[in-house]
Amino acid sequence: MKKAITLNSKNFQKEVLESEIPVLVDFWGSWCPPCKMVEQTIEELAGDLDGKVKVGKLNVDQYPVLRNQYSIIGLPTFILFKDGQMMKNEVGARSKKQLLKMLNEALGNII
Amino acid sequence: MHNAKCTCWNCPAINLAGKVDFRACGQAGAQFDKKADDSQETHIMAECKRRPDLGLFDPMSITFEECPEWQKTPYGYLLKNMRVMILGVDGYLGWTLALWLGRLGCQVSGVDNYNRRNWVKERGAHTVIPISRMSERLHAAKEVLGVNINFREIDIYEERDKLKEFIDEIKPEAIVHYGECPSAPFSMIDVEHAIDVQRNNVLGTLGLLFTMRDIVPESSLLKLGTMGEYGTPLTGRPLFEGMFPADAVLHWDNREWSLGGELTPRDPVSFYHVSKVQDTFNCYEASKYWWLRSYDIMQGVIFGVHTEEVSADPRLRTRLDIDEWFGTIINRFVAQAVLDIPLTLYGAGQQIRGFIALRDAMECMTRLLASPPEPGQYAVVNQISGVKSLRQLAYIVAKVGRKHFNLPVQIQRIENPRVEADIHPFEALYEKLPKQYGFEPKVDIEEEVRRMFELLMKPEIRARIEEKKHVIIPKTWWSGVKREAQRIELINLEKEIKEDEERAKIFMGKK
Ligand SMILES: NC(=O)c1ccc[n+]([C@@H]2O[C@H](COP(=O)([O-])OP(=O)(O)OC[C@H]3O[C@@H](n4cnc5c(N)ncnc54)[C@H](O)[C@@H]3O)[C@@H](O)[C@H]2O)c1
Repeated sequence: MKKAITLNSKNFQKEVLESEIPVLVDFWGSWCPPCKMVEQTIEELAGDLDGKVKVGKLNVDQYPVLRNQYSIIGLPTFILFKDGQMMKNEVGARSKKQLLKMLNEALGNII
Repeated sequence: MHNAKCTCWNCPAINLAGKVDFRACGQAGAQFDKKADDSQETHIMAECKRRPDLGLFDPMSITFEECPEWQKTPYGYLLKNMRVMILGVDGYLGWTLALWLGRLGCQVSGVDNYNRRNWVKERGAHTVIPISRMSERLHAAKEVLGVNINFREIDIYEERDKLKEFIDEIKPEAIVHYGECPSAPFSMIDVEHAIDVQRNNVLGTLGLLFTMRDIVPESSLLKLGTMGEYGTPLTGRPLFEGMFPADAVLHWDNREWSLGGELTPRDPVSFYHVSKVQDTFNCYEASKYWWLRSYDIMQGVIFGVHTEEVSADPRLRTRLDIDEWFGTIINRFVAQAVLDIPLTLYGAGQQIRGFIALRDAMECMTRLLASPPEPGQYAVVNQISGVKSLRQLAYIVAKVGRKHFNLPVQIQRIENPRVEADIHPFEALYEKLPKQYGFEPKVDIEEEVRRMFELLMKPEIRARIEEKKHVIIPKTWWSGVKREAQRIELINLEKEIKEDEERAKIFMGKK
């Protein structure tokens, strides 16, 4: 089963901005209960979307420079990247169904 | 090993250095970081308190498996000589855990003020398994098991300064907080008792949280809650582990929201349970504000008398109470059976509860100690190993008593002095302990009940039960009335047991 990629300041450029396929990034913090509850959903999505959409997660406290760059002000924040650009941005806990809906709307019914 | 891939991020033996900001929920993130130093790749670095020679490093870079300070035990990697402080160390669970962890190589320290001994004495009851004075207990632990427990008599609530001093001296890497009044009926006796219980529990814990913030913010807190915080919602919705999962969705007004990470509603069933719910909120908030790592452990009813350590010598036994205030369900049933008193079910006797054996609870606590939450993480675990109706439990005790000890055990229904649903659906989630922490229950309930009979039928213990049999039948009503609950009927349960098996559900996770 494909797992979500742990992102950091070193691999963000390559894994996210230069990715050939769209990337869903979960910006999270360890003190944020909704983030912890979404963890499992994110892992499931990484498996379900393998080959279509890459799924990654970034701890914003560890990488505040990236946090500022993407103006993360609430957690969890989900940002969909395509060709290095932000396509969609949602803040707050999401069910798997809601995340899939976000992806389908942005990418044109990929699932 | 369940915790092999945890990293220094989870480890209480690090100091977090760098720009840790203690802002709640990240709402202020954007303004806060205007001045952020963009030349630094990561703001949060770790400094190992045990290996300062490592200097500052990325806390995610070393796993427990790789770190020589974390060593293999049957319950996962455990920090070598982990300094664990047990609050409430003189109690039923605290004493048992102190010996268990001491045997595992932890450096155990403990705090108690003998509240429990005094409360039981005040009610005119006693522990039917005699326990010796603390000095003797400590001496026996050393002599029989080679376990040293660093004990200090402190009232957690009244003597905050003393507790602070002791914590500063020990610098515990984990604090297990058992030090509260554990009794629902005790909190319902009258206004004085209700206030005492809430003050002791809620304010004691609140003070502890501030002390942790000031002295050991990276230490991991294992705080005991109870399954009773959830109550028994008549909707029959599952009792999640503290918070809603991300896929729990609220539909309203043709819109929908994920409830993921919100605390589930609580429906406490006594002023004692309310104190635990208040604790839950205090721990939840403190973890968020100050980056404390905490487990809130929603524990089911504990039963049993045995671990290898407490059974090693009569002086090492842990207490066992059977009175209406402090006697928990299975323990009380066995005592009744020994005296030929019909086992008492309150009301319908169809109340369903989660439960777990003493030994298994110790293993769960160890697995949680081995897997500290992340900084700022408030995590909740349902600590049960099964769910059954009270009449199913009575039936098991009766069966064992009849079969192995030739006792003519009877079961009776009496008036229910509590205000509670006595027939209700029940579905508890029990997902994290088996899946995340690798726990499998080891104790067979009938086997443990058999052990309890063996111990309680010893003449000296039987005599102690006999001496206090007048405090078994409840006289404390939630309504405030004081009178003995009357028998409704004697019952035979063969048929009913089957029905309850259908109703008592456990949910071990999505397929
Ligand atoms: N035993 C169970 O079935 C059960 C089930 C669910 C939850 N719990 C919880 O687990 C914890 C331990 O339960 P237990 O059965 O061992 O109870 P216990 O009463 O035997 O142990 C608690 C200990 O804490 C001490 N204590 C209380 N207030 C104190 C204070 N202000 N300062 C210092 N020490 C203090 C008491 O003297 C006692 O020794 C409690 O928080 C209880 O609510 C127990």
